[in-house]
Amino acid sequence: MAPKRIAWFEELRISDRPSAGGKCASLGELIAAGIPVPLGFTVTAQAWAEVIEFADLGHRIGDLTRAVDPNSSSALREVRQQAVEIIHGATLPPGLEEDIREAYATLCARTGRDDLPVAVRSSAVAEDGAANSFAGQQETYLWVQGADQVVLRVRDCWASLFTPQAVAYRAKLDQAHRDEAVKMAVGVQEMVDAEVAGVAFTVSPTTGDPSVMAVNASWGLGEAVVSGEVTPDEFWLSKIGLTVTRKTVTHKAHRCVPAPTGRGTQIVDVPADIADSPCLSDELLHELGEIALRVEKHYGTAQDIEWALARDPDGSHRFMLLQSRPETVNQATRAAIQERTAARTAGAQAYLSVLKGLGLPGQGPG
Amino acid sequence: MTTLEPEPVAREVRFPDPYEIETPAGAEGWEEMYPYYLRFLPQRREADGGRTWFRDGMHFPEPMPPFDIVSAEQAFMSTGVMNTRVFALPPALGLDFRVLNGYMYMSALGVEDPAEIGRRAEEFAVRVGHYYKNWPSLYAAWEDKVKEQIAALKAITLPALGDFEPVENVLAGRGITEANDLLVAYQRVLASIDAVWNLHSEMLNMGYAAYLNFLMTVKGHFPEITDQAVAQMVSGVNVLLFRPDDELKRLAHKAIELGVTQQVTSAADFASLRADLGGSEAGIAWLKEWETSADPWFNFSYGNGFYHHHRSWSDDPTFPLAMVKEYIGRIVAGENLDRPLAEVEAQRDAVTAQYRDLIPAGPDRDAFDEALGLSKVVFPYVENHNFYIEHWYMTEFWRKMREFGDLFVRFGFFDRAEDVFFLRRTEVHDALVDLQIAWSAGGPPIGPVHWPPIVAERRRVIDALKHWTAPPALGPAPGEIVEPMTIMLWGITNDQVERWLAAAAAGDQTVLEGFAGAPGIAEGPARVVLSPDQLDELVEGEILVAPITSPSWTPVFARIKGAVSDIGGIMCHAAIVSREYGLPAVVGTGNATATIRTGQRIRVDGNVGVVTVLDD
Repeated sequence: MAPKRIAWFEELRISDRPSAGGKCASLGELIAAGIPVPLGFTVTAQAWAEVIEFADLGHRIGDLTRAVDPNSSSALREVRQQAVEIIHGATLPPGLEEDIREAYATLCARTGRDDLPVAVRSSAVAEDGAANSFAGQQETYLWVQGADQVVLRVRDCWASLFTPQAVAYRAKLDQAHRDEAVKMAVGVQEMVDAEVAGVAFTVSPTTGDPSVMAVNASWGLGEAVVSGEVTPDEFWLSKIGLTVTRKTVTHKAHRCVPAPTGRGTQIVDVPADIADSPCLSDELLHELGEIALRVEKHYGTAQDIEWALARDPDGSHRFMLLQSRPETVNQATRAAIQERTAARTAGAQAYLSVLKGLGLPGQGPG
Repeated sequence: MTTLEPEPVAREVRFPDPYEIETPAGAEGWEEMYPYYLRFLPQRREADGGRTWFRDGMHFPEPMPPFDIVSAEQAFMSTGVMNTRVFALPPALGLDFRVLNGYMYMSALGVEDPAEIGRRAEEFAVRVGHYYKNWPSLYAAWEDKVKEQIAALKAITLPALGDFEPVENVLAGRGITEANDLLVAYQRVLASIDAVWNLHSEMLNMGYAAYLNFLMTVKGHFPEITDQAVAQMVSGVNVLLFRPDDELKRLAHKAIELGVTQQVTSAADFASLRADLGGSEAGIAWLKEWETSADPWFNFSYGNGFYHHHRSWSDDPTFPLAMVKEYIGRIVAGENLDRPLAEVEAQRDAVTAQYRDLIPAGPDRDAFDEALGLSKVVFPYVENHNFYIEHWYMTEFWRKMREFGDLFVRFGFFDRAEDVFFLRRTEVHDALVDLQIAWSAGGPPIGPVHWPPIVAERRRVIDALKHWTAPPALGPAPGEIVEPMTIMLWGITNDQVERWLAAAAAGDQTVLEGFAGAPGIAEGPARVVLSPDQLDELVEGEILVAPITSPSWTPVFARIKGAVSDIGGIMCHAAIVSREYGLPAVVGTGNATATIRTGQRIRVDGNVGVVTVLDD
């Protein structure tokens, strides 16, 4: 069976990374685990490969990028300009644009909303996070509405492979890695109109303590947190009993909201009466914590999760996960903390080391 | 922006110099109430002024009456002899202690020389190893030893000192007289408390060390775990300290069963209730139940047992009677007063299992199991010794000393039996010799003209000292704190010291930091309770703010919304009782009673160990 151009998230598992990219494959895996995730589909790496082949992009852009001096920023900018023009002007393989439009129409039908606002995001196939970042595969377009705009933003995601930093980065790679680095899927997912959004770590990002969870949260869409527009509220939970153990409530002056035009987003001031309020209650933190723990349990390893809290017109709320990836705690940080703890308790340790050599009567719990 | 992290503090910061501290007005001459070896003598200014001294407000929250300092001497001495001589803790000796303006300060003695630590470690392994390996049988024997000591103390009788030596002594040709019996009785009382405090400390430090071992094992895996979560994993659910309260509930049920609730609930005081019930069979049956509960369970101090005036439920049954009345009302209203022991235990085991599951199987999990197992073995002693010694024994001890007080009153030395506690123990000895001589010769004792003005003056000085706020520490900021008792019991850790220094430097009095003693958050009006006789003032829904709470206050925990204490670590009684009652508690704040006023709205955050004053 020929690989599919379009795959719905619910059809995907983590093993589908080569076709759906890491981001979309992980969302599929979450759905399979019963975690709430926005509806969406993937324009697969196969579809992009077909585009490259059909429009002969391998030659047209390949010639451009091979010839460029990776140290000349003006040359890189020129390459990008031309690549964007080529990609946007390229004729797509027969039926692909229709496939994307049809999938979008289906998405609208499934959510019961015409011109459903969606997020269009690159979904990297390569495992290397640094490569993804340099290769422009972190591109995200928010609040995209209408089939025309969706197709346009899918092309933008493809074109993001040719940003100056992406081209310069790939120039340093060998051929095999370079080939891998240009494979890319694009995710199209229902936009969550987030009242509050942020990230959650299922392990302490500062000490690596696996019994705690850290949550950052701010008003509006999560982009304000990710881009550093605001200092988010910080909440710490104990995984045992999921109680809130620490809160740092900040002044959250700005938030990211849908633009009044209906396309894209903008940063606006937060009303004074809520700027200094905690943006998640203990009850909501508990609910989010439960979801995060389910994700961690599903993967069997600590996770770094992007989440959003949607408020429906009837006042009810629901958490949605936008992304989840393994969290690798900074090992150097953890080692430093352990060293400090050991130094502070050196005297007691000397005493207790004697204790430990005694072969004491122990009984396990239960 | 609010932040809960303590400000970092520069190390140059010092606590007040003990030699620079002034005597509060009206307390001039306080020094003569205490023996020379407990004072900051000018001759030792260089040595003692260069050390860090921590206030022991947990055991000694009030200025010490001159006789009562015997309890401080015993407590510190027994800890010292066990650490230093009996078990040879490798890096720590005992605690030096001093009295300043009537308040107790202590300073840890350490071992620095690695060779000496090594030598001690060898001794330690043999001695402590024996105790840990045989803990359950040693603990059973320990309970018997303490009960024997209590029985022996009660059996000490003071001579009648009538007009003549009892005739049977003469006819038996005894030769030795009641004059001698008097002195021997006093010496036996002093020997008794000395022995019992040895027993108090016999197993205590090892208990805390086993706990500290577990704490550090757990913190290695979970650097951010709260002390209270660690404590919860090893806490027993059926602790002796809860037994007196359980007895009150039993008596409430018995009153209903026997049909005497009307008499009990309408009684003005226990004496009138006793007279009222004495006339009926059911009444006599209930009084018998009371007596059964009272010995030993009402030998339960209103305070912590270290002061003669703390008294116990059996000395003054006002409080237990009031609680029995309250419990009757609640049972009649359909409330179930039983503590959900199985539930608490199941919850504890579930929490423990969750942490355990987060540790990878293999050597790490085995080490966790071993440390937890040892903690559970030693914990019955750690949790229960307090009832045996501080409550039961000390109630009997102060009672026995009051018998000497009564004797002095009879011979005109004082007006009140309690006055005996305003003499130092060597002065009591002097006064007894005075009495011996007078009774023997048939002349008047000298004490009646000597002591009354001194006692009156000392009472006045103690009152003046009560209004002085004792700093939490004296002298230079300390180095690392390693002594397990200091950490576990007093709650003095490196972090706590930093907080005290920060508070001293910042002078910010609206947010108090302490230990997260029991989880939860509560807001309400504060009730500052400095001594047990103020307990009656507590109104339902208030937050108790006390220097340190006593386990015998347990029943009022049913009325309050939260608890705050000046002193105490996560194993202190306020924390243990609060956890049991599901109330938020912040302990070891250092100065809550001096900072918070009754009636102020405060918030107690027992999750993070912070108390916030919400209004003035």
